[in-house]
Amino acid sequence: MDADILIIGGGLLGCASAWHLARAGLTPLVIEAGALNAGASGQNAGSLHFQIERRFLEQATDAAALGSRIVALNRLAIAEWAGLEALLGGDLGIHMHGGLMVAETEADAELLAFKVARENALGLPTELLDGAALPGLAPYLSRDLRGAAWLASEGHANPRILATAFAAGAQAMGARFHARTRLTGLRMTRDGGYEIEAGSQTWRAPQVMLACGHWSAQVAARLGLHLPLYPVPLTMSVTDRTAPFLPYLIQHVGQRLSMKQAEDGNIVIGGGWSARMARGGDGLPDLDAPAELVPEHVCANLAVAARVMPGLARRTLLRSWTGITCISADQLPIAGMIDAAPGLHVAAGGSMFTLGPLVARLLAESIASGAPSADLEPFSPRRFAHLNAFTVLP
Amino acid sequence: MRTDPFDVAIVGAGPAGQAAARATVAAGLTTALIDEQPRPGGQILRQPPVGFGVAGWMSGRAYRPLRQLLAATEDDTALHWLGGTSVAGIWADRAGGFRLHLAGARSGSLHARRVLIATGCYDMPVALPGWTLPGVISAGAAQTLLKSQQILAGQRLVLFGSHPLQLVLAQQFVAAGGDVAAVLFPQTRAQMLRAAWPHLAGALRTPGPLLAAAGALAALRRAGVPVIHGAAVTRLTADDSGAALGGVDYVAGGVEHHLACDVAAQCFGFVPQSDLPRQAGARVAWSAPAGGWATLCDARMQSSVPGLYVAGETTGVAGAEIAMIEGAIAGLAMADAAEDDLRRFRARHRRLAPFAALLRAVADPQPWWPAAGGDTLLCRCEDVSAATVDAAIADLAPFGPDASAIKQRCRIGMGLCQGRSCEHALVRRLAAAQGLAPGDVAPFRTRFPVRPLPIDALIEDAP
Amino acid sequence: MTRDPRRHDGVTRPAPLTIVCDGAPLSAYPGETVAAALLAASMRRLRDDRSDRPRGMFCNMGTCSECFVWLREGSAAQWHRRRACLTPVSADLELSTREDTCNAD
Repeated sequence: MDADILIIGGGLLGCASAWHLARAGLTPLVIEAGALNAGASGQNAGSLHFQIERRFLEQATDAAALGSRIVALNRLAIAEWAGLEALLGGDLGIHMHGGLMVAETEADAELLAFKVARENALGLPTELLDGAALPGLAPYLSRDLRGAAWLASEGHANPRILATAFAAGAQAMGARFHARTRLTGLRMTRDGGYEIEAGSQTWRAPQVMLACGHWSAQVAARLGLHLPLYPVPLTMSVTDRTAPFLPYLIQHVGQRLSMKQAEDGNIVIGGGWSARMARGGDGLPDLDAPAELVPEHVCANLAVAARVMPGLARRTLLRSWTGITCISADQLPIAGMIDAAPGLHVAAGGSMFTLGPLVARLLAESIASGAPSADLEPFSPRRFAHLNAFTVLP
Repeated sequence: MRTDPFDVAIVGAGPAGQAAARATVAAGLTTALIDEQPRPGGQILRQPPVGFGVAGWMSGRAYRPLRQLLAATEDDTALHWLGGTSVAGIWADRAGGFRLHLAGARSGSLHARRVLIATGCYDMPVALPGWTLPGVISAGAAQTLLKSQQILAGQRLVLFGSHPLQLVLAQQFVAAGGDVAAVLFPQTRAQMLRAAWPHLAGALRTPGPLLAAAGALAALRRAGVPVIHGAAVTRLTADDSGAALGGVDYVAGGVEHHLACDVAAQCFGFVPQSDLPRQAGARVAWSAPAGGWATLCDARMQSSVPGLYVAGETTGVAGAEIAMIEGAIAGLAMADAAEDDLRRFRARHRRLAPFAALLRAVADPQPWWPAAGGDTLLCRCEDVSAATVDAAIADLAPFGPDASAIKQRCRIGMGLCQGRSCEHALVRRLAAAQGLAPGDVAPFRTRFPVRPLPIDALIEDAP
Repeated sequence: MTRDPRRHDGVTRPAPLTIVCDGAPLSAYPGETVAAALLAASMRRLRDDRSDRPRGMFCNMGTCSECFVWLREGSAAQWHRRRACLTPVSADLELSTREDTCNAD
């Protein structure tokens, strides 16, 4: 055996899991096709959003049930982020000074009230604020807003440095990292362990973690397993720097919007505007290529942002970029062990910057102790076990 | 502006873009010529403002073909000129052809069946202690301030770097009544000759540029301007106020020297503009020896993106004459001309190639980079020092970093210029640390917008 | 003795106009860029960097981004960041080398 566990994917989940596993005395080996943190982990907008996201309210047929399941994790994530700098040491650019999810229309306001009631019932202390309360709290926001939901613990962190901070710590505790190492084979061995192949190198371990985001389904397919995780290409934009004025994370209940002022002063804008998957020569989506910007979506994203914060119009757009996250079949994360393949664990499925450090710890703890995590139980791959009822392994 | 799509859109109104426009207009193709400058000409013939009169402007014999091309361009009523306009992005249109995002004097979308990117090159920014002091500029800046704005960049100019073009600039500065304290080359004369030697025979077939350089040297000697070889500039120092350039420190013959000046122009060579081709998806390659990325193209100047052409310094820095030839070839190719029509241009291209090769060899800055460590800023936009960059490279070394990974860690390349000034230096530094050739280091991913865009205009023009 | 940075020998210019820079009037010629006009007035500082050190122009061709200044054309207009080396002067041009001294809108 080359390691206690092979981790496929060197983003936030892979590096943070390696950190916790190493601390628990295991030897993880992480392989990453490119540079660490080159994927969605490093490209996302850095939001720490603990309120129920608009995407759950927008799509779900049963918004109540879906929301309640994620709130439990969100509450734990707040504490996770609050303790992260002490855990890792150093400045991680974590700012948790509050978040406002705004409402523009009547319909928005109603949805917001519904959401806040749900959240309060589940123990998340969001407060519904009337439009009149906003100018005092956030004078840079539009006076036309109907109201907002306030949560004191929301905020943002620096996605560009977190995964490698975990990696450096993990490496110091004995974890091994192989960047620029592309997976070319994954199989279960006769003794129930796993072997991965990356070009000319092979490694064996009793366990494997798939921490590979939008590549998860493709990697799982190497074992004949179906993981209902689908690539979601998104768009982010950033303005020039300005003196600090915006301490809060801004979101919108009725529109796709997230907005924050990064530590360096740039305004980062996102919120779920889609980009377009590149196509390979075969006409199929190319998972390895950067997603393509849809300029109309960049403009639309900025238009919503400027409506909510009029001062944005005087700023200068420096860059728009894309990142590919992934979404599961029911919009909730998938985290835990796959019953059909004992020793194979997965963690992916949306909001994995906000939830990443928490999920990584819970999963690592369950792997190290051998006991499944109670907090991750609602997100276990078991709920999709029916998809793998016909899989033949090894 | 016409709403129909254009047959051809040409980005860049320098020699290459202009030459292409002549060909496409002559072929009856509707042609838009776009440039950030208010008037065509490129950098080499950057014109004075409309309303200025400049006697004998760029009247030298060497510029005649360029002036004739420029006059023909400006007189052409069939050509659609869009000056003062930036192209922030190019996308392949679903229906075929391309959509260009314009900003500035003209904003909104422009559609064209075929596009030529002829955006030229820019002076390679070279970091050294003190280089961010006001008064430290590129040689190109000193030249265009004089050529176009009719302004001397300062009271007393020092030119320094490895590129012989600084001799021509020094001569122009003196002829305009300016004071040049010295022209400093890090290479010795012997080293320059040694670099030139393999290319000399071929270059002598096009003696014009060599004679111009010799003429510049003679003029500088007559004017008493010292041209000092083996002089490595180590630092730019502030004046008494501390707020602007006051002088230049250099080492020659093992001895430290200081020259007082209020403007210092660095001339280490040129970097092809590669941001727009990269944003458009065209393949580029590291442009040895100086650096930066040249856009790859086939023999008909088509890039790796069908319908997207490139010409001039954007394909590799080789001078204005070659740029004109490449532009002519690209224009003819966009007009679907037969190979036969391109033949005479190819012959001229071959004749000029040796001088371009000579200049590249003589001007090669690689042995002459000033030491830039510690506090010296590598990223001017975000104030990222060499020490910070080196620490990031060291910290991330176990994790296989590319240029983007270093950028993520320490912000180099994240400012207004998006790496135009610093990316080449970062790639070189990373390559050296990893024992790779610079061409093997994955560079930044270039994205829209290729120039900073005011958000209010962007929202207004939203399609 | 300081030499006038503007060349006059063989050069004709239109009648000058006045722009305002950091609240002070400045003479310039139509067609000049903001960067050139400031340089001709010996004003080499265009902005301050992240350590509050002064910066001036570098490339003079719109590539390096050193010369971004805040400007507006007319007191009723919106302030914008623009490249001084690419922006021509105009009679109602007001510019500021610091964001915080632009009137908040």
